[in-house]
Amino acid sequence: MRSPKPKPAWLWLVEKEWRELLVSRAWWVLLIAIGPLVGVSFISAVRTYAEVSGLGGTAAGVGEALSPLVGVWAPTFSACELAAVFLLPFVGIRLVGGDRQSGALKLEAQHQMPAVARVAAKALVLLAGWVVALIAPIVAVSLWKIYGGNLYAPELVSVAIGHLLNAGLTIALAATAASMTEHPSTAAIVTLSVTVGTWIISFVAAVQGGIWERMANYTPTAMVAEFQHGLLRLDMMLIALTLIAGGLALSAAWMRIGVAVRRRVGESLALGALAVLVAAACSRVNTTWDLSENRMNSFSEADEQALRKIQAHLRIEAHLAPEDPRRADLERQALSKLRRVMPDVQVEYASATSIGLFEQTSPHYGEVWYDLGGKKEMSRITTAEGVLETIYSLSGIPPPAENDESVFRGHPLAVRPKGAAILFYGIWPAFVMIAVILIRRSVA
Amino acid sequence: MPESSRKLNQSNALLRVEGVTKSFGRLRALSDVSFSVRRGEILGLIGPNGAGKTTLFECLAGVLPADGGALSSVERQVNPSERSSLLFYMPDGIAPWPSQSVRWALDFTVGFFGGSAELREEVIHSLDLLSLLNSPIGTLSKGQRKRALLAIALLTPQPVLLADEPFDGLDLRQTRDVAQVLRKHAAAGRTLFLSIHQIADAARICDRFVLLSGGRVCGEGTIEELSASAGGKTSGLEEVFLALT
Repeated sequence: MRSPKPKPAWLWLVEKEWRELLVSRAWWVLLIAIGPLVGVSFISAVRTYAEVSGLGGTAAGVGEALSPLVGVWAPTFSACELAAVFLLPFVGIRLVGGDRQSGALKLEAQHQMPAVARVAAKALVLLAGWVVALIAPIVAVSLWKIYGGNLYAPELVSVAIGHLLNAGLTIALAATAASMTEHPSTAAIVTLSVTVGTWIISFVAAVQGGIWERMANYTPTAMVAEFQHGLLRLDMMLIALTLIAGGLALSAAWMRIGVAVRRRVGESLALGALAVLVAAACSRVNTTWDLSENRMNSFSEADEQALRKIQAHLRIEAHLAPEDPRRADLERQALSKLRRVMPDVQVEYASATSIGLFEQTSPHYGEVWYDLGGKKEMSRITTAEGVLETIYSLSGIPPPAENDESVFRGHPLAVRPKGAAILFYGIWPAFVMIAVILIRRSVA
Repeated sequence: MPESSRKLNQSNALLRVEGVTKSFGRLRALSDVSFSVRRGEILGLIGPNGAGKTTLFECLAGVLPADGGALSSVERQVNPSERSSLLFYMPDGIAPWPSQSVRWALDFTVGFFGGSAELREEVIHSLDLLSLLNSPIGTLSKGQRKRALLAIALLTPQPVLLADEPFDGLDLRQTRDVAQVLRKHAAAGRTLFLSIHQIADAARICDRFVLLSGGRVCGEGTIEELSASAGGKTSGLEEVFLALT
């Protein structure tokens, strides 16, 4: 009888976690489900894209709006977000909590290996499991290319990073919940409660604004949305990585079953405080990269060059309620782009109500005040062009000439999603089912 | 116990457990538990259900935090991080890695815990596991699983093995065979500390005993020593146990 090949203990653990993943029903359910989920999003996105491009009628005449990032990749990859929220936590809980349920934790905890290394092995394998699940959207990308669609690699990289970080957050959360609770069902409830909690923050932010709005910027949903628009924000990546590391460290602290609960609680509080401090420090980082082909998160290069010449401090006070659509326009179309060029810009919102509907008669409601180095001007325009015009007027810098060559022309594609339905609804589930039978049999 | 014998005991002791206490809320599971473990012996921890045997093992192995007490080797006190190189604890009633085969679990034990690859085949044969090697652990019967767990425990490299109820789920013949296997490993130099609630089984295999009742040590020693502690009127372990607890 052959003896096992010698290798470091940590690699034994990684192999063990990988084998446990391969026999985990939760992971196979995730794999089976993600195909049709991606399929339905991709097929619907390609159809809509084709109709806007002129299929079965006339082109909508908005070629510049036809960006595959917004039209195809964001909706297609949103299936991954759904899977990360509702399926991936159960895979994580199974892998982390399974050891406690079976009693394996009592054996493995007797090894002198630090608990952090044990959690790292689990996290690595879970991330690998998620990367395997990402084959479904990669198939969608390949189909799009076969249809003759345009691919802009930096956009895909941005979307992929967003979904990997989102999966990392889910894994860290599931690992923490599974380590801290006695039973997997309790861990599942805790994980889903935290997810619902982040949705509540987003909801309250939309109504209340203020601190809630700043917090909502860092929820996984908001993070994924930024990446799906091709915007790589270093602060968001650092905060996500801090939370992932904090969650895994917390999970490791609670995996040390031989340590007194009181001490574990103390360590958890210290870890939580440290994570909050690091995250707060990271939130001050302003470095961003706009990876979208159509520069949807930036002003034109000429405008950016002109804005960089402005040295004076800019303060903007907008009298718009949190739920007023004009505020969302102002923020998305102008201010978020402005912050990327002028990191020192100070923006304040003022309103007496959350919806603004009953403030319309108030004399100052809807006003946006600009204060550039002591010079003030008021405008009610919330478009990017209007904001830039006011800033140029205050600064005395002439607006740059419009350059038609730099305008994004779009990538219309009027094709039907041929073969996608059979691939995602038929071949994918069948392939995964065959893999389930073969792999589970070989592992067991 | 005579003073000379006590000195000998102390010099032969591999481990000394001193004043271990553990409470679950208001329930005091272990109260000032102290005893010695000697090199190469089979020490039986006997006591009725709820005596605190499993709690004591888990505290010693470091998988359950004790409220107080210390574990020391001949030279010095053993800190928690050193326990993993000194003793290994095999719990009762677990089914670790239930989807993995017995063969893989034994390989994992050798690879991950640094167990003895040379012992692997001998353990497989002596515990009659050959026909079960490809079976997932979760599908084994209670007795089969117990033998697989014992194989894992025997392959680990630590000099002291703590096994919780090693005969639970085994039939008479298997109990006898497993007892022989354990004796063989003890003879080879491994110290075994076995928690056994069946006193007849304990009497058959153990060299010395620690009697635990209500979380307290009621006696420690060989049957003769325990019998003397009980007044010398009893001879069998069952009678001694009843007299002392």
